Amino acid sequence: MAEPATQGPDASPPRTAGALGTEVSHPRPDAALLAVTGELDTLTAPELDTALRELVAGPHPLLVVDLTGVTFLASSGLAALIQAAHRAEDSDRALHLVVTARAVRRPIEITGSEQLFTLHSDITTALRG
Amino acid sequence: MSDLDSPSVPDLDGASSVELRTSASPALIPTIRAVASDLAARADFDLDAISDLRMAVDEACATLVDVAAAESSLLCTFLVRADRIEVHAVVQTDSADTKVSTDTFGWRVLQTLADDVALEHGGNEDGTGSTVGITLTKHAGDLPR
Repeated sequence: MAEPATQGPDASPPRTAGALGTEVSHPRPDAALLAVTGELDTLTAPELDTALRELVAGPHPLLVVDLTGVTFLASSGLAALIQAAHRAEDSDRALHLVVTARAVRRPIEITGSEQLFTLHSDITTALRG
Repeated sequence: MSDLDSPSVPDLDGASSVELRTSASPALIPTIRAVASDLAARADFDLDAISDLRMAVDEACATLVDVAAAESSLLCTFLVRADRIEVHAVVQTDSADTKVSTDTFGWRVLQTLADDVALEHGGNEDGTGSTVGITLTKHAGDLPR
């Protein structure tokens, strides 16, 4: 059965190429999953930041950000993720990231920010919490 | 004379060169980093080094575009050498007082990504023709650290 739609018909229209895609779903009642697609750089980091603020502001105990569809991660995007992890921590929650691509794993590793997140290599594991 | 006025790259000493001049706009940085990535891939950089160069060039360009004068250009020069790629990026600024802060997360990331990185503030004494540039070097494979 399909998940209940989280975006109404008046959800944000498709943007120009290179723009970010963000979509929130609730695969479990206690989980909020933010799926991000596109490139995370200075152009798109504000949009990611907004989506992350909404995610963390929600009541769900399990917060997962699926970065499988992200093809580039700059420090501006990483900074937004780090801030979100700190905000989640304020309410005793971890920020779970699904990371598969080198383009995402590499910046997280070289900046030593792995310990700020709970990293998973697939969505199923991430949703186990 | 600022780098932006110089018509061509200096003596190449066997390196091949690519120059990209774009509007100093964040919207064009994806194009510049794609070129960086392509050059590194063709120069047989290992996958981490390609990834690092792409990020480093993005970081450098984003830093410079942020301080560039309105309606100005960003000039990126890539020198592809046997074992490394050297990148020089420069923008015009409104005044010689425009400085790039190196006390940022982005700059720290840039230093981690590149094997060598330097910031240069240039221009005339009277403040006209002021520029800010970043030079970075990335080797084809991991250097011993």
